[in-house]
Parts: sequence; structure tokens; C-alpha cells
Amino acid sequence: MFETNWMEKWQGAVNSNGPMSWIGKHFTADFLFGFGDTQYQVSFREGKLVSFSDEIGPETCYGLAIRGPAETWTKFCQEVPPPMYNDLWAMAHPLHGRLTLEGDQMLLWQNMRALMWALDRMREI
Amino acid sequence: MAKIEPITGRYVWVPYEGEEYRIFFEEAGEGIPMVCLHTAGTDSREWRHQLCDAAINKNFRVIALDIPRHGKSIPPYDWYKEEEEYKLTAKFYSGILMAFCDALELDKPVIMGSSMGGNICLHLAKNYSEKVRSLIAIEACEYSPGWHLDWLRHSHIHGGETSATSVFGLMAPQSPDKYRWETWWYYAQGGPGVFKGDLYFYSKDHDFREETEKLPGDVPIYYMTGVYDFACTPEMTEDTAKKTKNSECIIMEEIGHFPMSENPELFNSYLYPVLDKILAQS
Repeated sequence: MFETNWMEKWQGAVNSNGPMSWIGKHFTADFLFGFGDTQYQVSFREGKLVSFSDEIGPETCYGLAIRGPAETWTKFCQEVPPPMYNDLWAMAHPLHGRLTLEGDQMLLWQNMRALMWALDRMREI
Repeated sequence: MAKIEPITGRYVWVPYEGEEYRIFFEEAGEGIPMVCLHTAGTDSREWRHQLCDAAINKNFRVIALDIPRHGKSIPPYDWYKEEEEYKLTAKFYSGILMAFCDALELDKPVIMGSSMGGNICLHLAKNYSEKVRSLIAIEACEYSPGWHLDWLRHSHIHGGETSATSVFGLMAPQSPDKYRWETWWYYAQGGPGVFKGDLYFYSKDHDFREETEKLPGDVPIYYMTGVYDFACTPEMTEDTAKKTKNSECIIMEEIGHFPMSENPELFNSYLYPVLDKILAQS
């Protein structure tokens, strides 16, 4: 799970999603996603997941890093996630800390609606 | 034949500490008065299913109010001149509730509230136990930190969409989509800064860690928490309930932080036995 092929499927699910066309109209941001030891720089432009790369180096730019153990993300991706794993904020809230958020926190709050919608598409893979 | 619900909506002017507050409330049913408290940043619409439930309103006069600044209850007239941003306090919240009950001449009502409406039940148990019959504290605990965040009132952030989305994951995935998104809708309609201001009470002013065990226990408290609530987890509620005299703790499966609106049918199945006990004691 979380290999390149899985990322391509997530990209396809986001970009073919109908409501994303209006929910994500102003969603332009770059993130680092950490699924355990596997990391991707992920770029959204106007609601489309336009690119992702696992070549993380000195030229990699992103605003917010969202990292967690692969086990946490695997639970999140279940069709019916267990309690405390069903939502990004549930997993990242300081009470729980199953995910870490490092960087420009405003990116999360400004784009929360579109980002959450994009993450929910992970359950369609 | 028109499909008309049994709910009636009215306004009452409530005097409290030198102000008069125009408070909107909905009601249905007859019997023991039961006042229902909405969650932070929303309004009485969260209780529409319980208001319309014949099994509930045959024995209870169910009343759901919008506290000032929420729903159809306007803020005090001078709100725009306030020198500090809105912050709900335990003192104002419990005081205005009791003033509302006095204005309607309710005789020892049951108070049922969720989230901040659940947490305020502990304050009512401490300060107003002689005026209430029973307390149903839903998604409540003695301390619920981590929610009073500046992002929820920020000029670069859409307050409505962000407030609503930040709470969406508090609902269980098993709850019907139509009701989860209806709850989202309510949250998206709060006044600017109201959700954040309510969360001042929820996460800051409400801290009963040194108080719970001192509650006298002269009014029954029924704690009810859903397993998907990540703001007030079942463990947090159970810990509080263990310290509360004359209390019962009910953990609800496959439901989250907004039981009454996210999955009313399931929530009501947990609520009926509680109401039966209150009826038997009355």
C-alpha cells in the first residue's frame, strides 16, 4: 500500500471526482505526505492533484508536511474506519497525535474542505 | 394533505444581568419540561428529530432553544461595540439557561445537552441542582482541551466551511450521509466567531478536574457518549462519570459527537431507557 501505483489511483479518484470541481476551485497548495517511511511531495492546483513525487531532496518544496505511521493511514483508508482514525483532524488533534502536521498550519485550515474531500477519495482505491 | 411537523417556534424576552435577550425556542409535546441544548456554534435545529418523536413528546414537553448569538436568537444590541471578542463563559451560559427556564416558568426541567451543552450540565449540577430534575450530559466530560483555536475566526479562512469541516470527522461513518451533511450545514451557518467563542467555554473556561468529585449528587446525571467522538472520547466520559455521584454512563456504538442530529434513530434508541427512568422517578 502507498506505492506509486496506489498514488496514481488516488490521483485518478481525486481528479475524476465531480464535486471536487467546485469544492476545490481555489485549492492550490503543495504538501508532503508521509505514509510511514514512504514520502511524497503532492501538488494540488485548482482542485486537481497535478503531480506527486517520491524524490524528496534539497529542491523539494511544500507548505505542510502530514506524516503518520503506515498503520494509521491504512486504518484511515478502510471503507469504515475505526474510531479516532476516520478523519485527518481526528488523527492529528493534539489529544491523539496519530499524525503530525509540520509547516504552514494555515494551509490546512484554509483548504480544509477541499483537502478533506481529497483525502476521503483514498477510500475509493 | 400537507406534511406539517408538530414543532412550534416562538420568541421570549429573557432578562438577565441588566440585559434583555430575545431568545428563540422550538417546542413540541406535553408533560415534564425537557430543555435541549445545542452544540457549539449551531442552534436548536440539531434537535428536530427528538422534537418530532412521538415516543418522546407524549411524556415530555421538549423545548430546544438557541442561546444568544445562535440561530434566531440575536446578540445583545451592543455586540459590535464590544472591546473583546466573544467568549462564552460557564457563568453566562448557566445563568442565561436558568433565566430562560424561569421566564417560561418551567417546573424543575430535565436539561439535556450535547458537547458544550453536555459540559454545562456539570456546572448546573454544582450551582443549580435544586432547579433541575435530571441532567442528560451527552458527549460530556470534566475537561475537553484543544479546540479554542484562532483559525476558527480568521480573516484569511472561510469560517463557516472550516468550522463545519473541522467537526465533520466527529461524526461516525455509519451515520447516514444525509444527516451528517445536514449537521455540517448547521455548522456552516454560525455567526462569525461564534463557534470559536463557544469553544472558549468548551476548552478553557470549563475545567472541572478539581470539581467533579465534589458534586453533591443530589441530581441524577446521565452521561452518554459516542465511540467516534475524538473531542470527548468514551474514556474521557467514563473517567468523569466514575467521579460523579449519582451518575450513569452510557457508551453508544457507531455514533459520534452529534448523536441527536447525525443518527437520530440510533440515538433515540439509547435515549428512551433514560427517559423511562426519569419518568419513573418523577
